[in-house]
Amino acid sequence: MILLTYLLLSGLTTGSLYALIALGIVVVNKSTGVINFAHGELFMFSGLLAWTLHVQLGVSYLPSLAIAVVLGFALGVATNLIAFRPIKNADVVSLVLATIGLAFVVRGAARVIWGGKGDYLSFPPITSPDPISFGEIMVIPQQIAVLAGAIVIMLVFAAFFRLTRAGKMMQAAADNAKASKLVGIRVDRIYMLSFGTGAAIAAAAAVLMAPLTLLYPDMGFSFFIKGFAAAVLGGLTSLPGAVLGGFCIGVIEALAGGYINSSFMEVSAFIVIMFVLVVRPTGLLGLKGMRRI
Amino acid sequence: MTLFGRRNVLMVLALTAAIAPSFVNDYYLFVANTILIYVLLSIGLNILLGYTGQLAFANAAMFGIGAYATGLLQVRVGWPFWLAFPSGALIATAVGLAISLPALRLRGLYLAVSTLAFAQFTQWVFLNWESVTYGAGGFKTPPISFAPLPVSKQAGLYYLTLILVVVLYVLAQNAVRSRIGRAFIAVRDSEIAAQSLGVDLLRYKALAFGISGFYAGVAGGLYSALLNFVSPEGYDLFQMVLQKAMVVVGGLGSIVGSLLGAGAIITALEALRTVKGLQEIAFGAILLGFILFMPNGIIGALKAKVRGWEEPVHRSRRRNSPPGPAAVTTPRSEVRP
Repeated sequence: MILLTYLLLSGLTTGSLYALIALGIVVVNKSTGVINFAHGELFMFSGLLAWTLHVQLGVSYLPSLAIAVVLGFALGVATNLIAFRPIKNADVVSLVLATIGLAFVVRGAARVIWGGKGDYLSFPPITSPDPISFGEIMVIPQQIAVLAGAIVIMLVFAAFFRLTRAGKMMQAAADNAKASKLVGIRVDRIYMLSFGTGAAIAAAAAVLMAPLTLLYPDMGFSFFIKGFAAAVLGGLTSLPGAVLGGFCIGVIEALAGGYINSSFMEVSAFIVIMFVLVVRPTGLLGLKGMRRI
Repeated sequence: MTLFGRRNVLMVLALTAAIAPSFVNDYYLFVANTILIYVLLSIGLNILLGYTGQLAFANAAMFGIGAYATGLLQVRVGWPFWLAFPSGALIATAVGLAISLPALRLRGLYLAVSTLAFAQFTQWVFLNWESVTYGAGGFKTPPISFAPLPVSKQAGLYYLTLILVVVLYVLAQNAVRSRIGRAFIAVRDSEIAAQSLGVDLLRYKALAFGISGFYAGVAGGLYSALLNFVSPEGYDLFQMVLQKAMVVVGGLGSIVGSLLGAGAIITALEALRTVKGLQEIAFGAILLGFILFMPNGIIGALKAKVRGWEEPVHRSRRRNSPPGPAAVTTPRSEVRP
């Protein structure tokens, strides 16, 4: 029972990070119809930027988070301008390959700036490292902070998407790009905004996660693929689905790691994904019967 | 037939490749052999990605499976290379066919994630199934010999690779010009239209995955023999981006393009060997740059500039969501309403 609650809690914590990454992927996919394969790299790069701010320059935690989110937004906009806008009418294969190329450039740049293979940078914890116990259940405050932070970011994003003018324009463009153009929405800007917002969420996730683990240039891809898996599990175009998918992947991973073998942790998510896609190719909350021709 | 036409250039290339071992040292022979192996990989990937339009990420994994199967059958089972190598290629083909089963239900980005998951899973098996695969350290394969023939191991392997490349190149070139190739292109451009023309999606998608698995498996077996060593890190994501870069640099949807792309990328890789830190940046930038500025690759430029290269580049012009069939032939510069 103690093991189970511990595993569930740590699963939900990592799951909340996957959910944030999946949200970013879905926001971009909803409006542009492509997957930004550089998303994980933007996540990693923003996290490392925050590390430089916080550890090397001595900026305190919350301002570092804010600056990293702004820089992440800028990186997302740059991704849009470099790897999407010039070829937006090309086929999906080209669009995906362009973001893969960009991903490797960003990763290589991170290696040059923050050290090559095997350099792990640690981020000081923002809460006390001692676990708090509720009866028999032990809780690490940092995990609670991450979980709470992730939920706050999700709520802020949901409010932005539902309530603000920009968010509504993003919804409109995602729904029907041609019609939104007709009513005067500059769809290219909405695409740019989507890339920026997605990357900003990823940056926030990276800074939230940083005190819990180590930062290294290769982490981008492994988080990206989990986030992608979460997004697919949720149906690729559904925002609540992305959140649900993220939590599912996190919990499955933690349970597989705890009950089967710790080496299964990395791979359980992929087995689940392959299985889900064979049984239900549109994901859990995906639209059925919709096909882009 | 012009002097610098495709046929003449290919003839000269083949002749140069055939006499090369008598003139160059072991290092250049090794590089040439690597290029030939990557030609196989990039032809296989181009058939899947450039012709059939399947956004699959499992090619590096299939390459690894070919190498591991060939190596492990020699080390664990004790088979000779001559038996292990074709078996390894067949195993990779079988895996390629097996992963095409979900692909028949999946399209585009869903296919991408399932094949990515498969590639990560394969990598994990290489790393963690230590009782069979020797784990992260990899293992040495027994040296092969061409005993009855009067050639050294390097030259023998080189000629074996060269013969296979020529045969499989001709095979691929003929396949994509035949009914099969046209069916692949039809599937890429519109699955629904292809079906309505009587193209059996199930059969042709499976065939494309099988072909690319076979080419990758053959390449894997040869690569394990070339290095005499197999380890997981040779078949990771960088491998995937390298292969994708070859196909794009050469030209998506062109077999001869794959040949040129593999040559160009491996030459660049060798030139950058001293500055390993910049390799990722360089190949990422090459991939991105070609997609942005030369979407038809080297073959597109050759076709436009040099007479005698006028093979049609079977490259997709499809947009995200074209309004109708007419859009397929609309030039890309036109602004979408």
